[in-house]
Amino acid sequence: MSELSQITAPAPTADAVSVSPHGGTALGPSFDEGSLVRPAAVEASDLVIAAADGSLLVHGVSVSVRPGEALGIVGESGSGKTLTCRALLGILPPGLSVTGGTVRVDGVDLTGAGEREWRDVRGTRIGAVFQDPASYLNPAMPIGAQLEETLRVTARVPRRQARERARELLDDLGIRRVDLVLRQRVAHLSGGMLQRVLIAMALAADPAVLIADEATTALDVTVQAELLDLLGRLRAERGLALVLVSHDLAVVAQVCERVQVFRDGRVVEAGATSRVLRAPGHPYTRELLRAHAAYGLERFLA
Amino acid sequence: MNTVSRLWRSGWTVRLALLILLAVATLAVAGPAIAPQDPLAQDAASALQEPSWAHLLGTDYLGRDVLSRLFAGAPASLLSALAAAAIGLVLGALPGALSAFVPRVGEWLALRVVDALLALPFILFAIVFAALLGNGLPQATLAIGILVAPGFFRIARAATLRVRDSPYIDAATYLGASAWWVLSRHVWRQVAPNLVVAAVSALGGALLAVASLTFLGIGVQPPAPTWGGMLSSDLGYLGQRPWGPLAPALAIVVTVGALNVVADAARDVLGADAPARQKEAVRV
Amino acid sequence: MSATMLDIDRLSVDYGRVRVLDAVSLRVRPGEVVGVVGESGSGKTTLARAVLRAVDAAPESRILVDGRDVTRLRGSQLRAWRRSGAVQYVFQDPLRSLDPAVRVAESIVEGLRIARVPAGEAERRRTAALEAVGLDEDLLSRLPSGLSGGQRQRAAIARALVVEPRLLVLDEPVSALDAASRDRVVRALIALRDDRGSDLAMLVISHDIGSLAALSDRLVVLDRGRIVEDGPTRRVIARPEHPYTRLLIDSVPLIHTPTTNRPLPAPVRS
Repeated sequence: MSELSQITAPAPTADAVSVSPHGGTALGPSFDEGSLVRPAAVEASDLVIAAADGSLLVHGVSVSVRPGEALGIVGESGSGKTLTCRALLGILPPGLSVTGGTVRVDGVDLTGAGEREWRDVRGTRIGAVFQDPASYLNPAMPIGAQLEETLRVTARVPRRQARERARELLDDLGIRRVDLVLRQRVAHLSGGMLQRVLIAMALAADPAVLIADEATTALDVTVQAELLDLLGRLRAERGLALVLVSHDLAVVAQVCERVQVFRDGRVVEAGATSRVLRAPGHPYTRELLRAHAAYGLERFLA
Repeated sequence: MNTVSRLWRSGWTVRLALLILLAVATLAVAGPAIAPQDPLAQDAASALQEPSWAHLLGTDYLGRDVLSRLFAGAPASLLSALAAAAIGLVLGALPGALSAFVPRVGEWLALRVVDALLALPFILFAIVFAALLGNGLPQATLAIGILVAPGFFRIARAATLRVRDSPYIDAATYLGASAWWVLSRHVWRQVAPNLVVAAVSALGGALLAVASLTFLGIGVQPPAPTWGGMLSSDLGYLGQRPWGPLAPALAIVVTVGALNVVADAARDVLGADAPARQKEAVRV
Repeated sequence: MSATMLDIDRLSVDYGRVRVLDAVSLRVRPGEVVGVVGESGSGKTTLARAVLRAVDAAPESRILVDGRDVTRLRGSQLRAWRRSGAVQYVFQDPLRSLDPAVRVAESIVEGLRIARVPAGEAERRRTAALEAVGLDEDLLSRLPSGLSGGQRQRAAIARALVVEPRLLVLDEPVSALDAASRDRVVRALIALRDDRGSDLAMLVISHDIGSLAALSDRLVVLDRGRIVEDGPTRRVIARPEHPYTRLLIDSVPLIHTPTTNRPLPAPVRS
């Protein structure tokens, strides 16, 4: 079976969408035709996450993203999507642990790795931004100082160059009046601006992978659109592997060429976004699409 | 009471503290009645004796039975402390809660007045009070009550402020509720636990304050016994009877300690001042 | 009964030196559902609160509810008007809009107790309100913490309904809810709209155009304190006239799967 897939899978390009005539479901829900062709920038295989009392929260989930690719992860809260991402960053909450499967980040095997090994990898090979940007920043310090601190500590930029690098980073992200922004404290910046700063911090050490976990959920829809465009651009410019996590299928559909649907700690559907949206295999996916049909704007614009 | 039974179940230290307080409360009410001997009966011949079967805690410098004096002196100290805490509660809590609803000017005034009172050294204040209004226990009690009030003011105000901005308060307001309705139906429920905890602690503090004042001779009408007064006179005879001050001192310390233990346990049981869970922030 | 249920005329609200709402004019007819869409900083919550007279309006403003000028109501008159139940309010955060220490049954009839409505009548109205929002009677004896987000929000709507308002103001009613709860609450509101007809008008404030579109007859777009568009829902979304509206509509992510407009199924009892 794998031979056949290798023959039919097209050669990868940065924005190719891999479509297999079998569709994802024929080969099992977690199997994803795109994963065969290039080594992954980040991947987890048969990941099992258990709570302290032994109960399983994630039941053998496999995720992989190639360099320059965007993978969308869709699911409600409690579906295991956030826990899986945290496992890819080595930041599972206390009491939870990976009890099965493997984790590889940018070629480094981190299965069962200790904190020191994770620290080497975090920021330098894999970065992340989360939902509420203000809570990840120190309210008492100007954000410029915090960005410089990240640069010095994670990217090992010498002190004298840190300020210049900070300016460059924010400039890269399309922020105007960079010097003004650097001087501000958290309270004076909008959610969208703060999220850009956090993206800058996450990318400071030029990691291969960026995880955005509900990064636009709390933001206004126009700001969300800007940030999604930004993430798309960063992906194209830096060859970044992007993992975009959201409860909103449409957000994922806008940016990602592959998608995995999580439910109750399992991947119930995986494959090319266009295929999943057009011909969903799993009832849950169909339910998500129905929900979107009721509240999305397509019915007014069609 | 539901709270008492929950307190009882929360640990052996609390149980011990509650039992101690029960004993102390009995003394506060019936101290003089259950004193084995006449606390005022002097017997110069048997002055400054060690504990014996006749006098379980020995005798003081005038031959009076220490145990009886301890029992008889309990109401004065304890009931004064209770009265002071009650005065503080009434003077402080209601204005504190209301200040959370009063616009800026009232707030500023109330806060500055409260700050000033909190800054006063209480013994000095009590002495001045005594000088102005007479050297009696009621006056001393009033003085302590006034100085304890700011603490209640702050706690009531803080608890009310926390509640004031909750949507359910607005909800009641939009339904046409009066300020009194909002306070008594919604605010009170959230503020009461904090006040109960504060009251128990304040009781301990007030007892210490009363003991300190009576130790200094303020509010003492000899020969009526008070715990602080006993401590003071016993210290004068440390040479002859080194263990002397231990009885009143322990009485004070044990009572205040028990009150503090109960206050802490009450804070846990009633959920007063529960801090909001902080979201876990992760730097990557 | 007047021709307009709510008539907001040149409403301006200042917080200090900042003009949060600038000459906003808006009309809601009896039985109409008007959705106000705005992003953060648009002043939408201030607009909602202004209708309940919870904020002070600038001198030239006028707010008329069911024909009565309520712009300068204060103190006991304001309380009396609120008790009369002409307008009611549903908050964004279902978790904190119900007193956590009070049983749901009590919370729902609070408005009636404040208005001193006799117990029998209060119970009758409560039962009717629960049915209207699709909530089960046996949830009544619980504390708010024993209900899901969607159930709490419906309880909050029931609380607003028992005083029999003719205008319901809802501030982000579904923003704090997960998809399933959001769906239930929206359906409950649609059922209310359909059942009550011209007896109940609604003003719904939200940043989520999708939910608003499911519910509203008209859409009003608020941008930094000003109304930039006001028209039938379908038209505003399909053919927006103002650039900001266009930006807003374009920003909403789509799934690129054209679907036909299917009517929403009948409301489901939870």
